[in-house]
Amino acid sequence: VENGPKTSRTAAQKRAEIRRRKLLMNSEDRMNKIVGFSKSDGESNGKTCPSVRLTSLTDYLVFMFSLAGPEEEDMLSVDPRSRSPRRGLQKYLSRFDDAMKLRGQLASEKAAQDSGGNGDELDSFRLFRLTGSALLAIFVRVFVCQYLSIFAPFLTLQLAYMGLYKYFPKVEKKMKTTVLTAALLLSGIPAEVINHSMDTYRKMGDVFSDLCVYFFTFIMCHEMMLLFSSETP
Amino acid sequence: MASAGCTWFVVLVCVFVCNLVKALLPGLSSLLSKVLQKDAEQEMEMRSEIQNMRAELSSISMMDEFARYARLERKINKTTDKLKTHVKSRTAQQAKIKWIVNIVFYLLQGALMVSLIWKYYPVPVTVVPSKWIAPLERLVAFPSGVAGGVGITSWLVVCNKVVAIGLHAVS
Repeated sequence: VENGPKTSRTAAQKRAEIRRRKLLMNSEDRMNKIVGFSKSDGESNGKTCPSVRLTSLTDYLVFMFSLAGPEEEDMLSVDPRSRSPRRGLQKYLSRFDDAMKLRGQLASEKAAQDSGGNGDELDSFRLFRLTGSALLAIFVRVFVCQYLSIFAPFLTLQLAYMGLYKYFPKVEKKMKTTVLTAALLLSGIPAEVINHSMDTYRKMGDVFSDLCVYFFTFIMCHEMMLLFSSETP
Repeated sequence: MASAGCTWFVVLVCVFVCNLVKALLPGLSSLLSKVLQKDAEQEMEMRSEIQNMRAELSSISMMDEFARYARLERKINKTTDKLKTHVKSRTAQQAKIKWIVNIVFYLLQGALMVSLIWKYYPVPVTVVPSKWIAPLERLVAFPSGVAGGVGITSWLVVCNKVVAIGLHAVS
């Protein structure tokens, strides 16, 4: 009688043990099915798929993340000569990190802008340029414009500024992180190329500002002179 | 003649007013949100209540009067959560008001610019001898087409830039 329940417990235990082993053994097969491996492929080629021990949810997510990319085919190939999934995984993780950092930078720059800070400060050289353009416009209106186009002195002035730039203290302009620069960085364009392009764009903007100030001052001066000449008898 | 002579000045004043209002927009939004917010006092009361309770909590010994301590702490937590919800809704309302004010401003500015262009597109804002502005006379005169004239679009662009630089320098 005593042996009966003991035997049944042992049988139940045995069955539980068998079920547990079956579940544990099949976990890898189940994972392979999810990610697209099939048992028959591995066996038919006579080579084993890279076995990945997925012991936790983090491992699973990291593994899935590493598979989401253009190198998916390489990583899934059963050719042992193909690149290891580790390299692709690291590449995607680093890109993910970059995207998160850029997102943080964008948010902080937006907060700084909202709080009233403006990135484009009027440094001494910029102020010098604008003042020089205004003064030249007045001079050109009074003395020069009857003889030649007003844009000729302006171009000469810009050439002079290019030479005078080195005599002014250099202000390190921090590259502002915008949505455009973040998108360009994430698409693989090197940061130096982006910096160089932004620098060129900034210089073109400075020239345009000088031109606007020059032209505005010229027209204002012209109108003032017309007004005073019409008022004087 | 006088009206033609004043065109450049009218455009300049309009651009200046637009840029000035744009610079004052954040202040205007916050003023409007303060006016429209009705329960700002409630937030102040909650904050002072939390402050008082925290002062009371610091005076109670946890070992000696644990029940009272725990009760007060729960009350503080509950009031803090209520305050957080209140602040969240206030911030959302402020953002909404800011968004609406910005949209209204940009619509008005756009309408003003379009009406200026519509009114002055065949007439230059001012006229100078065309050789002064060679070789860009066609570009500068667009869309009036008058030789030596300064078109409304060029003048708008120039005024916008100069007024923005001026206001930035002043601010």
